Amino acid sequence: MIQQGIGMKVIVILPAYNECRGIGTMVRSACVLVEEVIVVDDGSQDETAVVANHAGARVLQHRLNLGQGAALRTGTEAALQLDADVVIHMDADGQHDSSCLPSLLEPIQRGVADVVFGSRFLGDAPGIPWTRRALLEGARLFNVLGLGIPRRVTDPQSGLRAMTRDAALKISFKQDRMAHCSEILRLVTRSNLRWVEVPVSVRYTDESLSKGQTSMDAFKIAWQLFLGVFAK
Amino acid sequence: MSGRLGLLPNAMLIQFVLLLILLVALSVTWKRSRQSVISRSEALVWSLVWIVAGAVILLPQTTTLVANFFGVGRGVDFILYGSVLALFLLVFKLFVALDQLERKLTELVRRDALKGFTDKHD
Repeated sequence: MIQQGIGMKVIVILPAYNECRGIGTMVRSACVLVEEVIVVDDGSQDETAVVANHAGARVLQHRLNLGQGAALRTGTEAALQLDADVVIHMDADGQHDSSCLPSLLEPIQRGVADVVFGSRFLGDAPGIPWTRRALLEGARLFNVLGLGIPRRVTDPQSGLRAMTRDAALKISFKQDRMAHCSEILRLVTRSNLRWVEVPVSVRYTDESLSKGQTSMDAFKIAWQLFLGVFAK
Repeated sequence: MSGRLGLLPNAMLIQFVLLLILLVALSVTWKRSRQSVISRSEALVWSLVWIVAGAVILLPQTTTLVANFFGVGRGVDFILYGSVLALFLLVFKLFVALDQLERKLTELVRRDALKGFTDKHD
């Protein structure tokens, strides 16, 4: 278990919406490495909560489907209530592999970073379609020009990140849906928090691609971020 | 040029209808003031708005003067551009209000999800 090695309480947050097919495997593989796994069931209509609970996760349930950002925020607040030293955000759709958790935690363990982002573009992303790659490059450009996020951030929409307790308390992200990735990047890179990217492997399956973002979602994200400026 | 019914020129007909609407608005404004629904100063401000609108309807060339000041050729075009802008701002305000409402809903759902979380799992 990682936390026994580093003497920190590490909690993994998995936001899930209708993920009953894969959530059990995700929870079990993460439970091997960390003591706590919190699944935030974001208003699923299937048995996601039951399966996650049986697999050993603590489960929180949103009565309505609010979006991944909202679920992560709920999970983060729960993790802080449980006195987490490090909070990890992961996707529950099978894209992320728990085996990358040690490398994600390593910079925090060494005390050189407060926030660690996993980057697909520093690691292997087998099966990443060129359309997705082009979309992410466009998002990266938008992040630089529109949001002032440094160009050295290679993955503009990474859902895999680790943060210390202090960082989690400091980063107050409000975007309920997919725009939370850019919002968190902006908040972190504009604060005095130390951040770093590490290479991670991402698996692209038909299921994860069908749940992933489309070109239209890119416009939605930009619009949500724009509205967020006015909706304080 | 005569109107469709041959009674009034086209321009006069629209002016007549708009002025009638403004007179109704003016009368309702002072009725509400008498009913103490709005204050006397509020009624005066609204009356001013209706009177200015009436002046623009009776003397449409005045809008051309304002339009020319802003670099727009015709007064009607200026009013149209202004209306589109006003509508855009109103719709945008609605979007922002909807976003704020969603955030309140999110907070409510979150509080509900976290209620007794630590107690339940201790």
